[in-house]
Amino acid sequence: MNSSSTQFVTSGGMGMYDHMHQLSMWGESFKSNGSPHPLSSMLLPNTSPSLIITADMKLDNQSEDTSGTPGPLNKYDQEVTKSSEKIQRRLAQNREAARKSRLRKKGLYVASGVEASHVGFNGAVNSGIATFEAEYGHWLEEQQKHVSDLRAAVTSNISDGEMRVLVEASLNHYYELFRMKGAAAKADVFYVMSGLWKSSAERFFLWIGGFRPSELIKILRPKIEPLAEPQLQGICNLGQLCQQAEDALSQGMDRLQQTLAQSVADGQLGEASYSPQIDTAMEKLDGVVRFVRQADHLRKAALVQVSQILTPRQAARGLLVLGEYFERLRALSQVWATNTREPE
Amino acid sequence: MQETIPFTTHIPPAAPAGDGGATVDVKKLVVENSIIVVGKRGCCMCHVVKRLLLGLGVNPTVFEVDEPEEGHVAEQLSSLVDDGGEVQFPAVFVGGKLFGGLERVMATHISGELVPILKDAGALWL
Repeated sequence: MNSSSTQFVTSGGMGMYDHMHQLSMWGESFKSNGSPHPLSSMLLPNTSPSLIITADMKLDNQSEDTSGTPGPLNKYDQEVTKSSEKIQRRLAQNREAARKSRLRKKGLYVASGVEASHVGFNGAVNSGIATFEAEYGHWLEEQQKHVSDLRAAVTSNISDGEMRVLVEASLNHYYELFRMKGAAAKADVFYVMSGLWKSSAERFFLWIGGFRPSELIKILRPKIEPLAEPQLQGICNLGQLCQQAEDALSQGMDRLQQTLAQSVADGQLGEASYSPQIDTAMEKLDGVVRFVRQADHLRKAALVQVSQILTPRQAARGLLVLGEYFERLRALSQVWATNTREPE
Repeated sequence: MQETIPFTTHIPPAAPAGDGGATVDVKKLVVENSIIVVGKRGCCMCHVVKRLLLGLGVNPTVFEVDEPEEGHVAEQLSSLVDDGGEVQFPAVFVGGKLFGGLERVMATHISGELVPILKDAGALWL
């Protein structure tokens, strides 16, 4: 376990190790040694990169002082791991800052929990999440292009064939996001479940790490009317089918949450990080990953059906409505975040 | 003619594998039921399949497998599949044949194909 642990910390898909380490550090934080804990600054959603560095450094000092640190790493491994982590962190932060400044210039960047979310309690960078956030930045830029293309197309006279190409491109872009989320879920499923990459208004509507298909269909329908009878029927029926599938998934998710809560209450994530019960807890977390995957699968299936039920022009109109809807949510978040209100 | 069962039929847990003689014959269950869901005990994915089917008015037979039995049951189910491929839990069998897992159930439900398939197999009555 020791020899491979350094590798684990710097790679993205380390699953169990990362969880164990973070959890054992979390457990450690509750054994207060009296000094003010730097964790509080780590939890601020809009912490700038420079503040993160400060918090990290404090944590590093603290853990160096602590003797008998729990977790599978020995002292030597910790040193080696920390310095490569620091380098990775600096590089990641530089990329982040550059990306954000590009997005800000385009009016695309919305302050969210993004800055601190891929830096864990112990200062270790979850590279799987860092990768996802960088990719999501690009995804948003691309999405803007797709929405513009759709907007131009619906008011034009292009052929159905050409329209279909645009619709497919837009759909594939969504499918790409689902693929990205799948990888991110393996890196940190709670991150995905909490929708941390999304703007705050988008997160308000979160259902198992993403949008609720039946809800979107309800929003979509009045905007793409008038529809011929079979299509109207098809869309309404699809909405109902989605609702049924969502209900089933929600019930399963509720059950999983209960068993997970029970695991935590039973002290399976405590100081004894070598406890075999950790395996059960990890298995349950894998269950959460599967739920995210099933929910995304449902989203994809719903989008596929929408494109099959509607004509290319109607589908383009529908995807435009969807794209604009999410854009408005993001804009709303930004306005809300920057709005200073006078006390009443 | 299959009799209508008002509630989901649960198969009692299999006896601990020892002589193997007391264990429930899962192959028999698959053949005898128009629809059966085989899953690990306490599995939440299995629960999702169950809830979805119940919501559609189906009364699926559910066979929950204890951990020690998993390998054995999986083997048995594999022998029912044409290409003998590995069976993953939860596994849904319709009309005695492997239908698929949660993903397949969801996909066919969303495409509107699930209900007709269930009706054809006699798992769903109008």
